[in-house]
Amino acid sequence: MRFFSALVAVLAAPVQAEDLTVVTWGGAYEAAQQQAIFAPFTEATGIDVTTARYDGSLTALKARAASEGWDVIDMLEPTAISACDAGLLARLDHAALTEGPADFAPAKLRECSMPQNVFATVMAYDPDAYPGIKPTSIADFFDTTRFPGKRAIRKSPDDILEWALLSEGVPPAQVYDLLSTDRGLRLAFRKLDQIREHIIWWQDAADPPRLLTEGRASMASGYNGRFFAAQQSGKALSVVWDGRIIGHEVWSIAKGTDAPESARAFIRFATRPDSMARLSERIPYGPARQSALPRIGLQPGTGIPMRDHLPNAPQHGPNYLVRDSLWHSHTADLRKRRFEAWLARGGDGG
Amino acid sequence: MVADELDHAPEVAPPAQRMLILTLCALGIGGAASLAAIALIEAVEWLNRVLLIAPRARVQYEDAGIIVPLATVCVPAIGGLIVALMLRYLSPLGRPLGPPAVIQSVQFETPLPDLRSGVTSTLAAMVSMGFGASVGQYGPMVYLGAMLGGVVRRLRLGVPNLPAIAVACGVAAAISTAFNAPIAGLVFAHEVVLRHYSTQAFAPTTISAVTGYVLANVIFERPALFLVQFEGVQHGHEFLLFGALGVLCAGLAILFMRLVLRITAMAAQSGIPQVLRPAAAGLALGLTALWLPDVLGVGKEALRFATIEGAFGAGELAVLVAAKIALTALCIGFGFAGGVFSPALLIGILFGALFWTAIDGTGALSTSGIAVYAICGMMALTSPVIGAPLTTILIVFELTRNYDITIAAMVSVVVSNLIAHRVFGRSLFDVQLARAGADLSAGRDRARLQAMPVSTCLTGDIIVATQDTPVDEIHARLDSSPWSEAYLTDSDGRFTGVLSRSARKPHVPNLQFHDGTTVLEAMQALRGFIGDAIPVVHRDTGTLIGVVSEASVIEAYLDISQSLRREENAVL
Repeated sequence: MRFFSALVAVLAAPVQAEDLTVVTWGGAYEAAQQQAIFAPFTEATGIDVTTARYDGSLTALKARAASEGWDVIDMLEPTAISACDAGLLARLDHAALTEGPADFAPAKLRECSMPQNVFATVMAYDPDAYPGIKPTSIADFFDTTRFPGKRAIRKSPDDILEWALLSEGVPPAQVYDLLSTDRGLRLAFRKLDQIREHIIWWQDAADPPRLLTEGRASMASGYNGRFFAAQQSGKALSVVWDGRIIGHEVWSIAKGTDAPESARAFIRFATRPDSMARLSERIPYGPARQSALPRIGLQPGTGIPMRDHLPNAPQHGPNYLVRDSLWHSHTADLRKRRFEAWLARGGDGG
Repeated sequence: MVADELDHAPEVAPPAQRMLILTLCALGIGGAASLAAIALIEAVEWLNRVLLIAPRARVQYEDAGIIVPLATVCVPAIGGLIVALMLRYLSPLGRPLGPPAVIQSVQFETPLPDLRSGVTSTLAAMVSMGFGASVGQYGPMVYLGAMLGGVVRRLRLGVPNLPAIAVACGVAAAISTAFNAPIAGLVFAHEVVLRHYSTQAFAPTTISAVTGYVLANVIFERPALFLVQFEGVQHGHEFLLFGALGVLCAGLAILFMRLVLRITAMAAQSGIPQVLRPAAAGLALGLTALWLPDVLGVGKEALRFATIEGAFGAGELAVLVAAKIALTALCIGFGFAGGVFSPALLIGILFGALFWTAIDGTGALSTSGIAVYAICGMMALTSPVIGAPLTTILIVFELTRNYDITIAAMVSVVVSNLIAHRVFGRSLFDVQLARAGADLSAGRDRARLQAMPVSTCLTGDIIVATQDTPVDEIHARLDSSPWSEAYLTDSDGRFTGVLSRSARKPHVPNLQFHDGTTVLEAMQALRGFIGDAIPVVHRDTGTLIGVVSEASVIEAYLDISQSLRREENAVL
């Protein structure tokens, strides 16, 4: 395997040295990627990586990709599926990109995307806000009587609808079945109604830890890696793993890329098990490949064993939901419509 | 003593071999029935996905214009047509099979209907459910398990009662797999199918049930059907409410069962050709589903919503209960293949939720929340339909793993079961069987006596003469025989009378049986009878078939009693 990885790197090297624009999410995540993937890639191939940031939305992709010369894009899997359907991404030849497609299971190699890491949307709280009884379950997120205070939530129907049903005691295996019905959506929005006046919306993934540590919110939804990074920098915040939603992050190539060869070389490099393990050592997002798991060691500098902090570590408990990316992509318009109606009307979610 | 008799019977294998055979049969049938049940569920789920019956598939085409409404109306109707054609051209019996056929086979020691009818029925059930008909999966799964167990009947393995036990094993594994509930599977096989608790049957069915559970739960890791969080019953008065819910559920269950029977009986008079009847039911279902999508298919989503406070309004619940009862009766009555078990679960849980909503709406009584009432309603409605109070109580226990909720459900279940049994009958299956001439309501011994025609215990070597034979000649034949009566016929073999040794003239006896007379009827008629034997004549032609002596009727009765006693007390 190592030999093969080295071989891939060598083969990737003589590619013409066109610069590559990689679009990603900024903050602690981008910092980890810089060390684990971008810098080693440039070192191995001589191709310079310039980064751009976006908010992960399809709108941003449509508006900016061509004008800013995006090549490789770090995407949420459902967005990548939608973008692929909309013809915004290049089709990938997976056989040329990886030597071990089976190694990615249960993540899927889709038409326009290669799985790269596994992250979780989790809830976190400011421990100072709850000196007595601490929130322990996802239902507590919606219980403003027992746990008063502002809730910071991403301004999107993603994840929060799932949480609403999980907090009603719906088992994870049934959440998407129920959310697929009109009744399920109404129920979820009714749950959101209960915390309506307590919501602070966020749009940048770096916001939730900041909102908590600044005392502007008492609880927040956010990505586990960001909360981990905030804890590392000495911020007091606690993560509740109950009800975490596990999603896949993927690499895609913009349809109009001017550096397709370099883009493919980059994805080949970034989805090698050792690259994935390096990223997981810096930010607790799990590798999308099985063979990368045993390679994950201690975090450089701090010596924290990172495998314990990955979204799927066993001590986080059994109540988690794996995001159904295809469902998310195909229901994106419907959920957006209902979400905006709920925002606008303050009624029952339309 | 009985055991000794058995051991010495020539066709019976030695005990160690019997034990081995029973164990291997239990493992083999349990594994096969469980895998078949999982395959059936998977196939139905797959069909539901690709045919846009499952909400999770439908929602992804929400914005694709006419596709979802079109599928809603057309898919069940097309499914109905396929089912009708399958049953007509592939099944020798031409009708779907379910638990009644299984019960009949085991209770009357007869083989199940032919394999081809069974397989067609299973595939027709798969199509019915896959295309969204309002019918249940457990009936077909029970039949599938029984059918796999029934294969053992063909092998001569030297174990008494094996055919019935093998069928019970298949049933236990199917239910165990379906609900992830091995104890309920085991009890269902005894309570509904075997109706006794011999050690010989108990051990293998347990092995089968556990095999099913291990396959479903440990190897395939199938999700539990139902998970409910419940903190316990908080108020004593709620047990009265559970009882009251049981009473109401009994009424609703009786209504449901009567409607199923009524529509089944009336289907022939509907004027719709048989091959189009399921399609007509499917069309009615599809049109209803346009504004009430919850009625489509098995209704897993509605089952879950019913345990969540506020998911349904009271009006929605009432409409849905009524629609589900009517459409299920229509689908089954008009010839879709499938069961009543899971529709009963759904109707019951919705009704339980409605009951709670009504109580909670008055504000007069405090309650422990909707979940416990929904589950009480679910089981209190199902128990009378399938005739299995103990099974339903155990299903609650194994599904929820919650002791408090089980005790609450127990109250509703027994009340409901008691009333429905008294007013309607032991179960829908038993009433269907009784209407088909196999009445089990007064016990298995009586049912078997009733199923046995008296013509099977005719006495041989009797003296028959035509009526123009000289009397002296007949007397001479009587003198050289143990008989005191001769039976006379005309030249066409029609019975005309009896000539006794002491009489010169024949007389017509006041007691005659015909070929349809059962051993039970004969026993009752024989009270106070004096004479050699009773003539048995052909009902239509009056031809003498033979005679039965009082002794041979009693012998038949004793044989049946003894075989039942042996079966019920068998150890190995």
